[in-house]
Amino acid sequence: MGKSPVVKGMDPVISVREFTKDYKSVRAVRGVSFDVMPGEIYGLIGPDGAGKSSLLKAAAGVLSYNGGQIRVFGGIVCSERAAERIKPRIGFMPQGLGLNLYPELSVEENIDFFARLMLVSRAALAERKERLLAITRLERFRQRRVRHLSGGMRQKLGLACTLIHEPELLILDEPTTGVDPVSRRDFWAILAELLQGGRTALISTSYMDEASRFYRMSMLYEGRIIAGGEPSDVLKTVPGSIVSLRCDDPERAAGRLKAVFRQAAVFGREVRVFAKGASPDEAAARVSGALSGLDVKDIRCSEPELEDVFIAIMQEKGFLQTEGPAMPPVPRGEQAARRAISSGIAIEARNLVRDFGSFRAVDNVSFQVRQGEIFGLLGANGAGKTTVIKMLTGIMPPTSGMGWVAGADMRRAGREIRENIGYMSQFFSLYNDLTVAENIRLYAGIYGLSARRARSRAEWILQMAGLRGYESSLAGRMPVGMRQRLALGCSLVHSPAILFLDEPTSGVDPVGRRHFWDILFTLANREGVAILVTTHYMLEAGHCGRLALMHAGRIIADAPPRDLRLAVQEKAGPVLELEVEDPFRALELIKGAGLTGAALWGRRIHILSRDPELALSRSRRALLPPGLKILGYSVRPPDTEDVFVYHVLAMEGREKAA
Amino acid sequence: MRNGPSRRRAALWLGRMRALIMKELLQIFRDRVILFSMLYMFTFNVFLLGRSVNMQLYHAAAAVRDEDGSSLSRELASRFRQPYFRLVRAREGHKGLGLLDSGKVMMVLDIPPKFEESVLAGRPARIQMRLDATYPLQALQAYNYGRVITGGFIPESGRGGVSPPEGPGALPAITSEERVLYNPNLNEGWFMSIAELLEAVTIFSIVLPAMAMVKEKERGTVEQLLVSPLSPFQVMFSKVAAVTAAVLGWTTICVFAVLKPFFHLPVRGSLALFFIVTAIYILACSGLGLFISTIAGNMAQAGLQSLLLVAPIIMVSGLWTPVDAMPHWLQVLTLFSPLRHYIDASYGIFLKGAGPGILWQPVLDMAAIGGSVSVFAVWRFRRQCA
Repeated sequence: MGKSPVVKGMDPVISVREFTKDYKSVRAVRGVSFDVMPGEIYGLIGPDGAGKSSLLKAAAGVLSYNGGQIRVFGGIVCSERAAERIKPRIGFMPQGLGLNLYPELSVEENIDFFARLMLVSRAALAERKERLLAITRLERFRQRRVRHLSGGMRQKLGLACTLIHEPELLILDEPTTGVDPVSRRDFWAILAELLQGGRTALISTSYMDEASRFYRMSMLYEGRIIAGGEPSDVLKTVPGSIVSLRCDDPERAAGRLKAVFRQAAVFGREVRVFAKGASPDEAAARVSGALSGLDVKDIRCSEPELEDVFIAIMQEKGFLQTEGPAMPPVPRGEQAARRAISSGIAIEARNLVRDFGSFRAVDNVSFQVRQGEIFGLLGANGAGKTTVIKMLTGIMPPTSGMGWVAGADMRRAGREIRENIGYMSQFFSLYNDLTVAENIRLYAGIYGLSARRARSRAEWILQMAGLRGYESSLAGRMPVGMRQRLALGCSLVHSPAILFLDEPTSGVDPVGRRHFWDILFTLANREGVAILVTTHYMLEAGHCGRLALMHAGRIIADAPPRDLRLAVQEKAGPVLELEVEDPFRALELIKGAGLTGAALWGRRIHILSRDPELALSRSRRALLPPGLKILGYSVRPPDTEDVFVYHVLAMEGREKAA
Repeated sequence: MRNGPSRRRAALWLGRMRALIMKELLQIFRDRVILFSMLYMFTFNVFLLGRSVNMQLYHAAAAVRDEDGSSLSRELASRFRQPYFRLVRAREGHKGLGLLDSGKVMMVLDIPPKFEESVLAGRPARIQMRLDATYPLQALQAYNYGRVITGGFIPESGRGGVSPPEGPGALPAITSEERVLYNPNLNEGWFMSIAELLEAVTIFSIVLPAMAMVKEKERGTVEQLLVSPLSPFQVMFSKVAAVTAAVLGWTTICVFAVLKPFFHLPVRGSLALFFIVTAIYILACSGLGLFISTIAGNMAQAGLQSLLLVAPIIMVSGLWTPVDAMPHWLQVLTLFSPLRHYIDASYGIFLKGAGPGILWQPVLDMAAIGGSVSVFAVWRFRRQCA
């Protein structure tokens, strides 16, 4: 594309050819090739274990590799000496929130340390430090120890430290994982600002919704590139339309649609289908045809998202079996173990508060979860989600407030509650040195199941989790997706009426995640299990029947996901996406024209506006004097992240006013 | 009527314990590092140290500066013989101090000129023994041996002047009849091998439960157990029970595969009694291990803290230094080392043939230490996760 800011004919900054990396006998990366051109933000997208970190580390010269070649700034990175030559020109930020920082040092001391390490002169340091602290808005906190910073602030400081020697190339490993959406947006805006001087960046992420932040990208899965190019081009590789609809019996509808379209999933009370190769009208007609006889409402069509495309590509390339694990029916008589909860309310939290020293981790949290409902707590790392679950399950006493689980007071009826709940933590609390069957047997024993019942439940779990044939494999040697389903199975061994899931999908690829949500949906819908689930994946939130947004220990909004989106669209308007020439300059001009909410997404500009037509014409006018053209635009409804950011900013606005 | 539900509850409780104990045992035996360490400590280590470690003076390097060069001086020097001393030839004109300084010898014997002449003339003859007392125990032994050798030195050639006292009645004397009880051949292997076994039991009884518990904390599985209907006591006691079974198993292997066949250790008391005492001892030590796990946040801390606890327990127990030789305040402290009581009981059973009538005291002490520590550990654990 001619309009690309990437200058053609220039040498790539990073050139990766047939890169291979083994960890002992495991091949982590198998023959990957791509080029990163000067001035672009290049993305590596993929689930945990796809090989992203290995690639980034090798490019930064801190990891040796087995085959292929990596050239950085034209020189081959193959030895420690070669790596030393390029290191002054590179800024590398490893994975993990602020893991490269020293928690005992203050913000300023950290920056000074990195500057001294990179031999930055005193004068240059003073000047750059002020500028970086200003951009990252950390000036007020310069004396604060890093250990007392929030995740988002740490990430920004990490970026500042990485940039103190003004590297030409930035290599960032999952810089936004687990960061709250507001800080995440902030981070991308800061990055865009810092990259303006023609710097290049190679960034990895496991969030599919971040793809549009990149100029170009590679999608990685199990050490291979399964798609690459500009985000819009990758989306075009699997043409088709997404149809979403509402239905009284979403499970049946999804079942029928799966038989026709392969990719159909239940999201809360909606069903979402990917009709490949079909135009929107065609797709809607075919979907209606497949569902004849069912009561279907609100058929809407939209363009596929990257996650849909990812799953489609994997299915095409035969990376996974089409059929996910099937949910077997629960034998009669076992459901009887489930106590009916008379009020219909399975979990209730009322004004829960938890302090750790002077820090308030959970601040006045109240919500209700009905039987058969999937209730999502969406928030960043450190927002207080896990603490809420720990209080409700009785692992941690609340500072104040009350909670009822299965109608029993959580503070008194500890043992009684525990017999009725299942719990799965973000670490997939399995014993890695025990086999699949031994893990199941252990939990059956812990919950005091009779031998006969333990056997039948084990059968059920193996079938539900698709683990038949793996009974005697060690849990630690299994792929993440299987471990996750086994952990879910173990937490379901006693057929609990209430299920607590703490970030159950962390590190699982999109396909595994969809399977997992299918299982949860069936559990809730068919057996009336109440499910409280936490997540920091915005995309996942749509699966929940009801969603509570959590930020800094508080619930800032609580409604079905669709209602949340509609409410924000009503109040703040849809998102206008502009494709423009020279996006950096364009953004300044548009902001200068009074559209202050404008933000850079990769090379596109997003504006949240109640009147997109007006915003479009104002942008046109702003870009006219320098002669910048708007190459294309689209209007789309706000997504979960837009909703989240809207509520956080609204809350902060209210607090400032008060 | 009330019998039914309570019996059911007991069955449920036992069923849960069984599931947990089985899991712990599987984990202990699947961990190759633990398995190998236990194999080594309970077999090879006991064998090797029992065979080779010797606290007696043995092959001590000694140099003789013989300035007399007479037959009598040579005869004296030759009395410092194997297996206690190993004579090193000192160079001519060498002062000997350098040899001591460099650690090449631990003793230098100086025989001055005219030694033979003085002896034969019946005049007092002086010789000098210089000792390297860096290792006081060895130096003391060398000193005593040297005194015995020189004091009892009667020239065999017995020319003239000096003659041995003749006849039993020549001088009034006290005859000492020595009877060595329990280990009549002063077989150090018996002592050493049992000591090593007791050490291995101590180390694993403390380290294994601490590690097992910290591992659960690190992996987050402990939360999974705590949201289940298990009580903190069940979670902790299942580990103690599994460790007791594992360590008892290895102790059995050690007794029958190493101590009996290789050291011909007599078992004068009841072996069954020894295993019962050992089980109680392991329970007591496991309490200490669990206590560590309530303090340690990760494996490295648990390892370090175990070391800090195991070392004084062994040092203060009297295994390597007699309790009677310690200062009084330390003697009081030794009473808190469960190993001290276990030593009394174990040596008592193996070598002295002690029975329950004698052993109830140390066993009671051990149980008291273990019990109070365990209660404290469970209390701390319950408080941490309540």
